[in-house]
Amino acid sequence: MIRVENLQKRFGEVVAVDGVSFDVPDGQVTGLLGPNGAGKTTTLRMLYGLMRADGGHMEVEGIDVDSNPQGAQSHMGILPDSRGLYPRLTAREHLRYFGQLQGVDKSVLETRIDDLIEQLEMHGIADRRSEGFSQGERVKVALGRALVHNPANVLLDEPTNGLDVMGTRAMRSIIRRMREEGKCVLFSSHIMQEVSALCDRIVIISSGHIVAQGTPAELLIQSGHDTLEDAFVTLTGLDEVR
Amino acid sequence: MNAILAVLKKELLDGLRDRRSVMSAFIFPMIGPLFISFMFNTITERQRESQDIDIPLIGGEYAPGFVDWIERRGFTPIDGPEDPQAAVRDGTYDFVLVIPADFAEDMDEARTAEIELVRDGTKKDAGAAVGKAHDLINSYGRTIGNLRLIARGISPQLSQPVKVETVDVASERQRAAHFMVFIPMYVILAAFMTGMNIAVDATAGERERSSLEPLLVNPVSRQALVLGKWLGAVVFSFAGIALTLGGLVFAMSRVSWQELGIQLQMGVPEVIGVLVATLPLAFFASGLQVLVASFARSFKEAQSYISLLILLPMIPSIIAQLYSLGNKWWMAPIPALGQQVLLTEVLSGESVSLLSFLASGASSLLLGLLCVWITAKLFQRERIVFGR
Repeated sequence: MIRVENLQKRFGEVVAVDGVSFDVPDGQVTGLLGPNGAGKTTTLRMLYGLMRADGGHMEVEGIDVDSNPQGAQSHMGILPDSRGLYPRLTAREHLRYFGQLQGVDKSVLETRIDDLIEQLEMHGIADRRSEGFSQGERVKVALGRALVHNPANVLLDEPTNGLDVMGTRAMRSIIRRMREEGKCVLFSSHIMQEVSALCDRIVIISSGHIVAQGTPAELLIQSGHDTLEDAFVTLTGLDEVR
Repeated sequence: MNAILAVLKKELLDGLRDRRSVMSAFIFPMIGPLFISFMFNTITERQRESQDIDIPLIGGEYAPGFVDWIERRGFTPIDGPEDPQAAVRDGTYDFVLVIPADFAEDMDEARTAEIELVRDGTKKDAGAAVGKAHDLINSYGRTIGNLRLIARGISPQLSQPVKVETVDVASERQRAAHFMVFIPMYVILAAFMTGMNIAVDATAGERERSSLEPLLVNPVSRQALVLGKWLGAVVFSFAGIALTLGGLVFAMSRVSWQELGIQLQMGVPEVIGVLVATLPLAFFASGLQVLVASFARSFKEAQSYISLLILLPMIPSIIAQLYSLGNKWWMAPIPALGQQVLLTEVLSGESVSLLSFLASGASSLLLGLLCVWITAKLFQRERIVFGR
């Protein structure tokens, strides 16, 4: 369960996020949808505690992110915008390192790593050094290390970025499975199809503001369009620019 | 605590698999000892060569007395080449002695007999051998001259109004101390050189690979993260210092110092003293490198900063070579300078107070920790984390 209220962030004169509020319920997939530069990554960075908000309130599992970022982080699995790996470590060693940093108990860590290698279909690369991994393999490792402590909340920043068709399909099924497990999933994307294929709820952000949120059906009604794509264009105000 | 260990273990594993880190940690300690072995063995070799030289001789049969005399002096007369001038010019021989056919006749009639010394004045390294041959001929001539005087009832002292007596004032200790300046500098440099790569890789490297952001979303304090990374570099630096010292001791044990006329103290107490004095410097060196490298966005950028930093520990050594530094109370707590003073004292066999060890060691440790603390603060800055 994630709750964001009236979030504010400015970089010098530029207002990046202004009054963003939304809830991410458990057992659902929520998409943070918006064009490039809308404030998606900034919002997520504040939520996972790497950026300080200038105002507003964020809660993860009832823990205040601002006053206890580490407490909140231990309940989140995070796939950040940058997902660099250590070229000299194997996939398994990546998972083990992050498990240790998350404080996962020694007795369960190795089983957990084996489970993730199974779930993410990483058998072929588990004991290979990450140097020379394909983009899809890299994302799998980055996702695996984010989930190694079995977090209840999962934050994914543009998870399908750079993935090919098979990689994207694999990512979708992983996200669906997390929903079945009852996790609270929030992912950001600028691709309409991505969001409509997966999401129970959609939060549309544009120029640092929330312009609409609700189920796909609710968004269609709000915008008065038949397709989500048209709804997206209208709601973000992109049509006014053209 | 567990997190610090996890980071340390990861950095060590990563570092040991990194060719660059391993090379800098293991190659640097080898260079100095190899240099010592090479330099001193060449010097000893030369000395030995000049001591027992063959004397290439043409026309030995005309001067059996001279040949006999050469042998009694411990040299070996050998048959000279056909064409002595060509042989000397192309370097087959450093010199050749040519005794003319009328040598015996001149000797018998007490005229000045000639011996030709064929040499090449442009060959510097032949100088010692040529000098020896020269001395040999001169002293043979002097001896014969003295005998002639005595035979005529004249004291040889009359013909020798002045005699040169050379006194070498450079004591063996002093010569050793001159050489010893090199050792503290090298060991101090080892502390900086050998942990450098891992310090850079763990900080600027994380930024370059954009693996810093995923690392920082773990519920671990920045202090713990930086401490682990710092300790990784410290371990490499420790190993580097120990290897360097081991290499130096090994190389020095193979040089025959007595033959060179240098007396060198490098026993177990000296080695322990050097270790105790230098190891804490690794805390400071790695701390400073972690801090400076954190400002860099890439490995290359960090290396250019840090190569400037390498000059820092060399300054005290260079000053020490120009002036005698002495030991002032304020020197001990200054990293590198304190170690330089301490090492010089340890190696020259002076008794060093425990306080000096403590002051320089504790200061390096504290300054290293200060660097870690500042780096942890830096890692809280959005500009560092997101590289803007």
